[in-house]
Amino acid sequence: MYPFKTCRMKRFKKIAVYTSLALLPVLANSCTNLDEKAYDTLLTNNFYNNKNEVVSAVLRPYTHANAWITPGQSGWWRLSELSADQLAWPQKGRHGYDNGQWIRLHYHTWTVDESTVLNCWNLLWTGLGFCNDAIGNIEGRDAAKMGLTQEEKDGFTGELRLLRAFHYLRLMDIYGNIPIVTTVGEPVSPETKTRAEVFSFIEQEIKDNIDKSPNLSKALLGRMSKAGGYAMLAEMYLNAEKWSGTARWDDCIAACDALINSTAGGMNGALVLDTNLTDTYKPNNDLSKEIIFSIAYDYIISNFSPQWTGDFYHFNQGQINGNPINGNDGVVVIPGVYTTFEDADKRKKEWLLIGPQWKYGSADTLPVICSGGNEYDGKQLVFVDNIRKNAQGSTVSDMTQGEENSGVRFNKYRLGPLTDPSYRSCDWAVYRLSWIYFVKAEAIMRKNGGVATQEAVDLVNTIKKRAYSAADWPAHQYTTTTLTMDELLAELGREFIFEGYRRQELIRFGKYTTGTWWDHNASEAYRELFPIPRTQLQLNANLKQNDGYPN
Amino acid sequence: MLAFSQSRTITGKVVDASGQSPLPGVTVQVKGATIGTQTKVDGSYSLNVPGGAVTLVYTFVGYKTTEMPVGTSNTINISLAADVTALKDVVVVGYGTQKKQEVTSAITSIEPTDFRQSGARNALDLVQGKVAGLQITRTGGSNPNTSPAVQLRGVTSLTGSMSPLIVIDGIPGGNLDLLQQDDIASISVLKDGSAAAIYGTQANGGVIIVTTKKGVKGPARVTYNNYFRKEYKARLPKFLTPDEYAAKIADGEINATDKGYRTDFVDLLVNHDNLTQNHNLAFSGGSEQSSYRASVYYLNQEGILKANERQQYGGRLSITSKGLNDRLTSQFNLATNFNKANLLTDGGNLQGYYTFNPTYSPYNPDGSWYFEQTSTNELARINQQTDIRQQQTTSGDAKVSLDIVKGLKASIFGSVTRDSYSEGSYANLLSELSVENYDSTGYAFQSSFLNIKYAVEPTLEYNITVNKNHNFSLIGGYSYRYEVEQYFDAGNYGFVNDIFQENNLGAGNMLLTGKANMSSYKNDNKLIAFFGRINYNYKDKYMASVILRHEGSSRFGANNKWGNFPALSVGWNMRDEPFMQDVTFLDDLKLRAGYGVTGNSGINNYSSLVTMGTGGNYLNPDGVWRQTYGPNKNPNPNLKWEKKSEYNVGVDFSFFKGRLSGAVDVYKRITKDLLENVTTQLPPFVTNSIYANVGQVSSKGVEITLSGVTVRTKDFSWNVDVAFSNSKNTLDRYSNDLYTIKYQSYADIGGYGALGNAIRTYEGDRIGNFYGKRFAGLTDSGDWLFYKADGTKAPADQLDSEKDFKVIGNAVPKVYLSFTNTFKYKNFDLRAFFRGKFGYNILNTMEMFYGSKASLPSNVLETAFTKNGKITGGYQYSDYYIEKGNFMKLDELTLGYTVPFKSKKTFQNLRLYVTASNLWLITKYSGNDPDYVRDTGLKPGVDALNASDDRTPYMGTRGFMFGLNVGF
Repeated sequence: MYPFKTCRMKRFKKIAVYTSLALLPVLANSCTNLDEKAYDTLLTNNFYNNKNEVVSAVLRPYTHANAWITPGQSGWWRLSELSADQLAWPQKGRHGYDNGQWIRLHYHTWTVDESTVLNCWNLLWTGLGFCNDAIGNIEGRDAAKMGLTQEEKDGFTGELRLLRAFHYLRLMDIYGNIPIVTTVGEPVSPETKTRAEVFSFIEQEIKDNIDKSPNLSKALLGRMSKAGGYAMLAEMYLNAEKWSGTARWDDCIAACDALINSTAGGMNGALVLDTNLTDTYKPNNDLSKEIIFSIAYDYIISNFSPQWTGDFYHFNQGQINGNPINGNDGVVVIPGVYTTFEDADKRKKEWLLIGPQWKYGSADTLPVICSGGNEYDGKQLVFVDNIRKNAQGSTVSDMTQGEENSGVRFNKYRLGPLTDPSYRSCDWAVYRLSWIYFVKAEAIMRKNGGVATQEAVDLVNTIKKRAYSAADWPAHQYTTTTLTMDELLAELGREFIFEGYRRQELIRFGKYTTGTWWDHNASEAYRELFPIPRTQLQLNANLKQNDGYPN
Repeated sequence: MLAFSQSRTITGKVVDASGQSPLPGVTVQVKGATIGTQTKVDGSYSLNVPGGAVTLVYTFVGYKTTEMPVGTSNTINISLAADVTALKDVVVVGYGTQKKQEVTSAITSIEPTDFRQSGARNALDLVQGKVAGLQITRTGGSNPNTSPAVQLRGVTSLTGSMSPLIVIDGIPGGNLDLLQQDDIASISVLKDGSAAAIYGTQANGGVIIVTTKKGVKGPARVTYNNYFRKEYKARLPKFLTPDEYAAKIADGEINATDKGYRTDFVDLLVNHDNLTQNHNLAFSGGSEQSSYRASVYYLNQEGILKANERQQYGGRLSITSKGLNDRLTSQFNLATNFNKANLLTDGGNLQGYYTFNPTYSPYNPDGSWYFEQTSTNELARINQQTDIRQQQTTSGDAKVSLDIVKGLKASIFGSVTRDSYSEGSYANLLSELSVENYDSTGYAFQSSFLNIKYAVEPTLEYNITVNKNHNFSLIGGYSYRYEVEQYFDAGNYGFVNDIFQENNLGAGNMLLTGKANMSSYKNDNKLIAFFGRINYNYKDKYMASVILRHEGSSRFGANNKWGNFPALSVGWNMRDEPFMQDVTFLDDLKLRAGYGVTGNSGINNYSSLVTMGTGGNYLNPDGVWRQTYGPNKNPNPNLKWEKKSEYNVGVDFSFFKGRLSGAVDVYKRITKDLLENVTTQLPPFVTNSIYANVGQVSSKGVEITLSGVTVRTKDFSWNVDVAFSNSKNTLDRYSNDLYTIKYQSYADIGGYGALGNAIRTYEGDRIGNFYGKRFAGLTDSGDWLFYKADGTKAPADQLDSEKDFKVIGNAVPKVYLSFTNTFKYKNFDLRAFFRGKFGYNILNTMEMFYGSKASLPSNVLETAFTKNGKITGGYQYSDYYIEKGNFMKLDELTLGYTVPFKSKKTFQNLRLYVTASNLWLITKYSGNDPDYVRDTGLKPGVDALNASDDRTPYMGTRGFMFGLNVGF
């Protein structure tokens, strides 16, 4: 027995030793390697190797701008419109209290912790960060290594610098005094610059890059261009008195003229006004001749579609439009605004929705029936120009007293019915030529001591005329007497309702914090700026809170 | 010396002491000699013993080793008593077992006889309420497609994994789907850090080690277990009945149209014919050299709701063999589970039907389904849609051990677990989903998933005794684990009929127009560790254990991939000390103390890297819409382990000859460097958050386990088992050198009115603090008034959340208590298992949303007109809706009968039983069953939050079961 056992043991020991030896190098090599392999994610340091990668980074800030420039998220648009005198998001029954955030915007009682204010800050600075990141990466790389010509590389960085300036412009509009950062991550805690300093930085950036940037053309649909640069200058100089302390009326007029004279290209041939009230807003408004800069959508081809439907649409809105898109029954027109439109004004019917609602294509025969267990469940949807609990016979009208049908509704941009070849593809115009006409008119009037000149009247009438029939027009056109500053503000309101400019306008006209409207009373003067969000102040000791707000 | 006297043959028969059935395979040996034999099938034996033999030793697994003196008679018949304690004496610890009296850390082991018996939907259901300090909460109620939330000794992480590591037969990260209750031999819970540290970076949430049944030496045995269960509705919220609702329309209290129907909508979704059945058939046996156990099972679970089922079958095979003169031991396990789940009902989605106007009908007058844009017709949905997931999970593992020289053993363990599923869903052309979202052209979807986990763990063990009394047991090892996961899905619509369903995705039209969708992902991670443990034992009186694990994970930052996890524990068996000899009532007394460090690597893959994220399509200059990319994360190369250090002091005791035994443990644990997405400076960064190590949570508590024999007579016995735990879990800090955060908010109430977060935790506060407005009455018109900080009353919009809001309750139970009463009378057994939670609050969202006239004309709870009838204001979150959650329930009541067999020739044993689950609930809480409200994690205590619609929980049930266990 013994010899056999020993032999077997020996053999086994041999096997064990050889196996161990064989395994040793395998273990030594791989046994402590913890490198990560990314299968489905891109790592920043191996990007920007070809033109498609570069373009995809250049375009990133645009899809992001959809988030903050258009309605639908708490970005620049909501702060600008829901704190002004035309639109509000009142509580409607069980819906829309939303922690009081819309009420505080309407009352101008927002706090330094306000989520709408923080969210706008985050969205804008993140967009700006996308610009900084792409600028830094593209400028820091050799054109040929990215598969670009030097001209293409300069074009991209010029465009991105203009787009970055646009972010700064709107940040300055909302928050006034902000840091200036041009490199991602540096410095870690940037310091606050005064609004005037920010103003000069933006002005310089635009001036330095406007000529490097391409002219507006169809290929630049939805992109920043030289034309967009001039529109930014027009906005800067129009508000310069407020923003930098110095009026710049002549610079403003010059920037407007560059566009009115179509020196910077146009999206569909020369930049000219659209001739009717619908071309700028229809599903295929990429054919518009007057849009200067827009956020471009194409649901049919790419699934990218407007996000504002949630803010504007009723729970059953889709039936009105012949599509399945409904909303959260949020933003409505403040009572009284509707009646500032004359009945002869075609914008009243074309851009606003009031009264009993009918199913799309039914020629007003099939009513839209409310569903979802709200006030008018099972009954026809009828939008009314008041915000109160009519179902209970109440006449109390304030921000908490709405019902599902309260308020006149948005109908300016159109998704189109399901069958429309451009369904859900209407671009959101950030700048359009009509607005440049008004900017020039306002600059002329302000330069003229607040009195209209014939040139200003002509500019405004050119736009307004589109809203009236030939027969009605003579009785409704402005003259140098009737176009007062107050009237200009009212007409701005009618022409640019829903477009995001109302807060800026009220501030320029000195009414934002002094005026009263519907459920809103005059607020403190410092409310002309929103506060720097408290969370950021706590993180960055170099930030300074705006006057009037607690730290 | 008489030693050389004549040898003789002794014969006899060995039987089981309780049933007197013959025991085959019993080893009969002459004490002090190598002479021995085994009993035959009829229990008989015959052994030739030398004349000097004094004693015979009878050993058999599962029975007490018994010695019999060799007298003058040549016949020795003996009955062996089952050794109940023998099995319990060995406790499964990480990478091995230990004798219970040597254990120096807090470990609780649960055997099948103690399992919660109500038809487990998940293996962890078996130990719910059985282990002090282990919280198992079924937020999904009795939904067969959900697993419970599990948490041990409080919250240990903010964003990482909080669940315990599951180890099944040595497979780390084992898959619970592979465990059937009849296959489990024991569930061992390593509670404190000194026990869990051997598992290093996955052990912050504790470790649960499951051991499955193995074959034992002896003739083939067959066992068959089954049960049948039927469930009934329990504790449904009291919405207005159709008649009550119609009456209120008639008298003008509800402004709605009475359409004339009277529909109990929710009842339409109830599967009144539900029946769950479980069958498990196991074969086992073995010889000296090898043993086996194989089992197959079939389990078909039907939920209380329609389209809510889970059908499973599979098996488990275990083979153990010895070779090389017993020096080489190998153990192979193979387990598989096939299951087919009907996921259509999801978590219930009952909200819509509870609140639907009950004078409506789910049908139009012409018999077609009634649809409206703003709600979902759930009955139509389960008739017109499908959603089936077919999953297969398999694990295989092997362990080969070689005794190299005496005391030195080398082993290698390897395992692979493969989990994959294929899911398909389809919505008919005429279904509501299709009509309202997909242009009435149907919607088809398929997805597939594959996850594979590999582990290789070579170990070297060495046992040595020095100077007789110094026992050392050493183990050292290396662990390599790799996990890879991938997923693919595709969806399409634009179908012309319903024939293809999801089986011909390409036929849908939307591939051409770009509206079809497709996505996939793949990621992997690695965990590598070196570990070692030394156990020292002096005379079984003084014990010490030292552990060190050095572990690295690919998920962490380049600067901090590796971490060290040490532990030390000591124990003292006082019973054996001379000064205790006179304390006669004492059977056992052991003091334990331990300290251990563990970590948490349960975070997302690639967390430390900067990645480029997609940003949606945008128009390129060439007219093509292409994907955009931008940075979507801030990098953190310093990302490192969350580390928990824990102290545990405990005592194990047994008094009065086992009449009273138990354990008391006191612990304190601190988890540092908690990972959280903290807000960064923005600008200059691109995104406003960074994943960084910032916070610290701690918890401390007491756990008591008691087991008492209240009555013990010949025919009747009454045992009581109690598990008690009390803990306090606080968020100590929420900042580091770079980032300071004052508080963090959790539990978004959401819904109509966006009421914000219910829970806000400031630094130093207990986890789970409700933070909000304080109710101060109503105005004359019924509008809300709340207290401001200065004590004055004001409407909601005048309150400042920083100043006027206060802590208005806490959602984490301070005390968990459960007790089991087991009665035995002759062949009958009766078990009553009570389980409860105390000292906490629940936010009653049912009242908040549906006990309010603001909800009208949707259907509301009766309380909208009674208790809350005066309120006219909209939805407000305040302490008005905070209630005490305390409850105690009769979780399980089982009556069993064991059939006494005179002869065990065919039947070894047969037991029949009936069980009622969730029979009786005592609580003052007025909402849903508080047992289903989440009490783990960072957003506990909000009723029905985390349900499928975040509004209404899965339907409460009461179950009745009939089952039998039989052995051949």
